[in-house]
Amino acid sequence: MSRLEAKKPSLCESEPLTSERVRATLSVLKGIITSCYGPSGRLKQLHNGLGGYVCTTSQSSALLAHLSVTHPILKILTTAMQNHVSCFSDCGLFTAILCCNLIENVLRIGLPPTTVIKLNKHLLSLSTNYLKSEFCGCRIPVNFSNTEMLLCLVRSILTSKPACMLTHKEVDHVSALILKSFLLTIPENVQDRVILGKSIIVPLKGQRVIDSTVLPGILIEISDVQLMKMLPTKNSDSLKVALFCASLSGDLTGTGEGSMVVTYGVSLENAALDQLLNLGNQLVNDHVDLVMCQKVVHPSLKQFLSTHHVIVIDRLGAALMEPLSKVTGTQPIGSLDSVSPSSYGSVKDLSSARFGSKHFLHLITYESTICSFLLCNRNETTWDELKLTCQTALHVLQLTIKEPWVLLGGGCTETHLAAYIRHKACREPESILKDGYSQTELQLVVGAYCSALESLAGSLEHDGGDILTDMKYGHFWLAQTNSPPSINWQDLLSRCGCGLYSSQEELKWSFLKSTQHSFVPQTCLPQETVISANKLILDCYTAKLSGLQMAVETANMILDLSYIIEDQN
Amino acid sequence: MAVSLSVKEALRVVEVLETIVSSCVGPEGRQVLCTKPTGEVMLSRDGGRLLGSLHLEHPTARMMVSCVSSHLRRAGDGAKTYIIYLCHLLRELHAATDKVMGSLGQAHGKHWKKCCQWKLIARACLSFQTQVLDCVVDQHLKKHFLSVFSSPKERTLCRSSLESLFEAYLRGRVGRNHHGFISQLISDYLFKCMAHERGFEEVFELVDDCFLELSIGVTGLPVTESKVVAGLVLHRDFSVYYPVEGDMRLVVVNEAIHPLFSSSESEFIVTSEIQFQTSQFWIMEKTRTIMSHLRSQNVHLLLSRVKQSDMVVYYAGLNGISVVECLSSEELSLIQRITGVCPFVPPQEPSQFGISNTALVKFCTPLILRSKRYIHLGLVSNCAFIPHCVILCGPVQGMVEQHKDTFHGAFKILQQLFKDHHLNYMAQANDQNCLPSHLMCKNSRESHQEPEFVHDSLRRPYQETVVENKEKLRKPQTCIKTHSNPVGPNIECEAYSPGSTAKEILTDVCQIDGRLRGLSPNKTRMMDNPKPWTESHSPAIAAMETSAMEISYENSQVTKDAGNGTVSSARLKPVETPLAPSNDCLPCIPAGSVLPVGGYFEILLHYYLLNCAQKGRQSEETRVLSKIIAKALLSIPRILCKYKKGKHSFPQMYMRTAHTLQAGQPMSSSSTGLESVASKYQLLASVLQCLTTILTIDLVIPVKRQPREVCDPDSEDEL
Repeated sequence: MSRLEAKKPSLCESEPLTSERVRATLSVLKGIITSCYGPSGRLKQLHNGLGGYVCTTSQSSALLAHLSVTHPILKILTTAMQNHVSCFSDCGLFTAILCCNLIENVLRIGLPPTTVIKLNKHLLSLSTNYLKSEFCGCRIPVNFSNTEMLLCLVRSILTSKPACMLTHKEVDHVSALILKSFLLTIPENVQDRVILGKSIIVPLKGQRVIDSTVLPGILIEISDVQLMKMLPTKNSDSLKVALFCASLSGDLTGTGEGSMVVTYGVSLENAALDQLLNLGNQLVNDHVDLVMCQKVVHPSLKQFLSTHHVIVIDRLGAALMEPLSKVTGTQPIGSLDSVSPSSYGSVKDLSSARFGSKHFLHLITYESTICSFLLCNRNETTWDELKLTCQTALHVLQLTIKEPWVLLGGGCTETHLAAYIRHKACREPESILKDGYSQTELQLVVGAYCSALESLAGSLEHDGGDILTDMKYGHFWLAQTNSPPSINWQDLLSRCGCGLYSSQEELKWSFLKSTQHSFVPQTCLPQETVISANKLILDCYTAKLSGLQMAVETANMILDLSYIIEDQN
Repeated sequence: MAVSLSVKEALRVVEVLETIVSSCVGPEGRQVLCTKPTGEVMLSRDGGRLLGSLHLEHPTARMMVSCVSSHLRRAGDGAKTYIIYLCHLLRELHAATDKVMGSLGQAHGKHWKKCCQWKLIARACLSFQTQVLDCVVDQHLKKHFLSVFSSPKERTLCRSSLESLFEAYLRGRVGRNHHGFISQLISDYLFKCMAHERGFEEVFELVDDCFLELSIGVTGLPVTESKVVAGLVLHRDFSVYYPVEGDMRLVVVNEAIHPLFSSSESEFIVTSEIQFQTSQFWIMEKTRTIMSHLRSQNVHLLLSRVKQSDMVVYYAGLNGISVVECLSSEELSLIQRITGVCPFVPPQEPSQFGISNTALVKFCTPLILRSKRYIHLGLVSNCAFIPHCVILCGPVQGMVEQHKDTFHGAFKILQQLFKDHHLNYMAQANDQNCLPSHLMCKNSRESHQEPEFVHDSLRRPYQETVVENKEKLRKPQTCIKTHSNPVGPNIECEAYSPGSTAKEILTDVCQIDGRLRGLSPNKTRMMDNPKPWTESHSPAIAAMETSAMEISYENSQVTKDAGNGTVSSARLKPVETPLAPSNDCLPCIPAGSVLPVGGYFEILLHYYLLNCAQKGRQSEETRVLSKIIAKALLSIPRILCKYKKGKHSFPQMYMRTAHTLQAGQPMSSSSTGLESVASKYQLLASVLQCLTTILTIDLVIPVKRQPREVCDPDSEDEL
């Protein structure tokens, strides 16, 4: 009997964004992500109520992955953000908040979505063109002759993740390590195409963060029993390495689809073991010093090899194979008969190391684009968060090499951009209005777009402080809570969000929320200002630019929905 | 319980569908989000997908959906328009019968009562296509057709018109901000893939068949990052990779290369340990020889459908051969189709292995897109298709899928566009014991009366101006009436007079043709040749063509007099010279015929259908049906112009078009898009068929089980 059941009819919802329920869930989501944003963001604890793993985080990648949303609109929003994060690692919260802000603002102004979507596209291309242009006032070219700027970039990423629970000293230490491990992955002699190496993060939980370190070469974790057996090796310049991807356990594989008839008294295991020992003989004759195997090595072969002073390491796993074959210059061997001498590789030296309670075998290699990053943190939760942060920072550095620019962080890019767009759309609306929109429509949409950017910058502050912007550069300034009224702003404020400008200049400030009249933010960042400033807050250019595009595209996509058809099966 | 299926019920159902569908129609349409039971979220404006994902329960609705999907399988587009047509047809039919019921008492009523029986209307629907629609399309609509070919004789594609075709298609299919970009991408892709201007049918077919393998979706990047890349991208990673400079060759294998101990249904008998070891050694030696032989043939890439053993990968690596395993059979068949390479079968003797089994590769590199690895192959093509892949980016999978579907659909539509669609009203004319030449002459003679008819329709509005204000712009008739500032009839007569002389010549040609038919049957056969662009072989036909050229010359004079050149007609060449006789071949919609988008097909057809209906040589019910269909046709332009104001609003546009048609001027169009005529025509035809089905069913009987198929006579043996 077939178990075919009639399908249930789908649920069809029209104009989903007008429904109160959807708006409420959207604002709940917005509340969750907004409160996580920035260095003073609040942490979220995620657990399933049945015990087990608890995740404390403020990062978008961890938060969105664990959050389960039910409404299709939220689903599509969170998936878009996760896709962005998996591409660029950084700026996930930025994108998500901007997208929510845009949707909320557009719903508030009540124009038909078709108009808003087209105008949003114009504003987006205005923004991206500005950020890509030479005279952009919030983009800095990266100076690779000095590590200062890259260090600032890494430090900004670390400080924006409060769930790592790092002190200032630790932040400095870890950001230096991250930069070091990144620099180790850059090959020394570069051909036309740079292929970056890899830094392998080795977990060491329960140690102090200060104990983290970066070592060139590869660390392989082994048990202390193995380490005891390891004999001091010959004192030679290099060690010959053989790396096997085939199993050396003596099991029979690949006998074909047919059956195999074995005459009584014939032992295939013996035959296989003979074959393995032959292989062992060959390895010894070829003066191999180190044998590594992805899978299992037969104990007899192990015994045989160690009596001949050959070190054997097995069960490496598939993940280590590629870097191992790269650093040692070996070709993974897949045959058990007659190994070609060309597939052997070499390592410079071999030493054992002990970090915390773990024992490692440290392969020091000639090829030096692969390093091991021993990462420590106090407990599992904070370690996970720190690991994610380190990966983000490494990825951001890679992106920065591809496009050597950084954006000003600390909310300054957003406020500056908003001021620029306001001014541009106000003064030169002709290019946009030629498609047949009225001035009022444009003003409304520009208002929605810019206030989405400004309230995004505003969500960096969680303690009720006053948010200001200056009328010269359009940067972001934060005043302490409960500042007395009618005071001199110049004394109260010290530096802007990114740290580029000091309040001692002759500036005029206004509250960010009340900025209605447009002004020309100063474009063309002078080189001297950047050089003189230190400890800037910087953001990844590629990730932020793409995040901006992604946020507007996703918001447009959601605003364009007229029906939702939910399959109930 | 059996339920009687009334038109009212069907109308109710289709009206619900129409409200959903009409929100996504046209350039102002919006998106619909569909969730799947698996949790996937899809964005879509594709009518077929929407109707499918609704999982409707109502039997009539399900029948309609299945009709739509069978139409989609053929044409690939038009599901939304289908539902809208159907809805309006049913609505008009319903209204028409209501009116008739009210006027039963009149003398006219008796006849009407008969007509109202659905069966009769259904029959009229069936005959409508052959009797009226094909005729109207061939004789009146044809002169408005434009072509996507830049020169019709050689059938070379015109890039700009194809772009506007795609643009129009995408405006109805993807999100508002992306249609320009994606249509650019499609035409880029198309022209990059074509080796030469001709032979594009092969390219379309290949892309349509293998689109899944030719496209890569990347999520998390803005849509504008999408691009076309030269070469083929395989959705796999290398098992072992060796970079090779310069040209190299590849082999394709479908099975494990290294020999196994035993194949299926055979036994391998091991009698001693030595024997076992020797055979293992033999296997290894064999693998090694094959690999070194491959290398000697400059093979540096091995593409395998199955997983190869570690040994094969190892020896391939030793010989500098890159290996890709576990490719899908579709990917491999695509590679075979492009390069013409046969799968490599490991030979018994290495000497048997020939060079014919390898294909040339320009480059072979790993490609990383969003931290996922792919293989980028520069294949050298053996056919008209130059391999290119398209990388489609978008924020979410749902949008990428939408763009993929749309991209794929564009190639389906192109395939449809370049087919000739035959119209079979000639055969119908024969049934009516009317010789084709007579029919043609009669028609052309009738068209002489057209100016008078125009006068008539112009005069009538003046008589009925009082009614005008009360009635809304619903009825097409009233739309002409609202023509507040009509050009004087005198001018129109002037515009027509050269046209009518041209038609006299046309009549002569027809008569010559008729005589020709009578004299030489073999020539008739030649003329019946369905090829649209038959070269002239006989002097008589050549003479005929010269006369046709004269006509066209005169006609162009007419257009000049009219003085209304348009952008689209300047850019595109008309399919034929507007009045050239079409009787040198079977009547058909020639391949590549297009019309400006935005409801022009509907308005034209509406206009000509009404004209035909008023000439009164059709039966009563056909005439009524023509009017109903003509009215329903206007629903599309009305929806398309819903948000437009002023000059572009529907009544204004309709009046303008009707006026230019009456004046015999070429159509002016404000829109830049184009759409295929054949698909529109097919759509209308299949809607009529669906309508017939709805009208002929009177009862819906629910059954518990699936209706059994007709029993085999053999099954009786079991009893």
